[in-house]
Amino acid sequence: MNEVVPPVLAGLYAWAEKIEYSAVGTAIAESRYLFVLIEGLHLAALAVAFGLLLLVDLRLLGAALGTVPVKRVLSQLRPWIIGAFALVFVSGGLLFWSAAARMVANPAFAIKLVLIVLAGINALYFEVAVSRGLVGEGAVAATPRAARLAGIASITLWSLIIVSGRLIPYLPSWVPGGIP
Amino acid sequence: MRLAAVLDTLQNSAVAHAISKSDHLVGATLQVVHIFGIVLLLSSLVLVSLRLLGWLLPEAPLSVVAREGRRFFRIGVTLAVVSGTLIFIATAKLYGTKWIFGLKMVLFAAAVAIHVLLLSRVLRQEQPSPAAARTAAALSLVLWFGVGFAGRMIGFA
Repeated sequence: MNEVVPPVLAGLYAWAEKIEYSAVGTAIAESRYLFVLIEGLHLAALAVAFGLLLLVDLRLLGAALGTVPVKRVLSQLRPWIIGAFALVFVSGGLLFWSAAARMVANPAFAIKLVLIVLAGINALYFEVAVSRGLVGEGAVAATPRAARLAGIASITLWSLIIVSGRLIPYLPSWVPGGIP
Repeated sequence: MRLAAVLDTLQNSAVAHAISKSDHLVGATLQVVHIFGIVLLLSSLVLVSLRLLGWLLPEAPLSVVAREGRRFFRIGVTLAVVSGTLIFIATAKLYGTKWIFGLKMVLFAAAVAIHVLLLSRVLRQEQPSPAAARTAAALSLVLWFGVGFAGRMIGFA
């Protein structure tokens, strides 16, 4: 093997192996039921988070719940969406813990992480810069362009996150010859 | 054994061969469609259940929330059932005899029955009785999420 691995990547792989072979990582990976249970939880929480967020995004686009004021939809759904995403992230963190070395070598996982960061930036931008400008009343009035764009970005990014997440087991490692 | 014969016929059908002989990304695409269907289906039940329990948008008419739930449900169940059927046909002999797959199908049948006989009837009323609303919401959530969990376990059991 005369392939030179950049020190940053070598460090990342070493760190991922340490995580995966830690007590918690091996406990999850080796338990017959724990891993499946956490995966099920990840999927169930994702359904709540993504589905309710999709409803909010469609409301921003004027394509759902048209008679309920936007601000009301946001304030009512926000705690459920944030709570469900918290569960998605905790369960996802535990799944990563048990398979860290394989994950850092997986292109679908890397793409998924980048997309999650972008979705997070989009959500923050919406909350900080857009949602405060929305009018509470006048239910049927169209939402501002910025809100509609944030809605489209959210639907697109989260859909791609689900696609890349489901593709993790199907895409080959991008480290030829395995992890150093 | 008749089940084995049925599973054998399915897995040797033209559809099954078309799926299993194509690129493995065809199978992956079916899995992606399946997960989107499940996500839409489960979220529609969360949405209408929260409204039935009075925890979400209590002032919005039930019919308004139920309409959005119905759209999500119809798209979700269609995607999940079509992709799920194709996945099953291609892998009938591998999955068809697993107890967890049988459990998933039993839960699925029960969930559909509750949906048709109870939940959609409750959602058609503007003021369902609190007892009926709670029962329909709880049964639907338990059964449909049970289908999801059982499905997630098939690859591991």
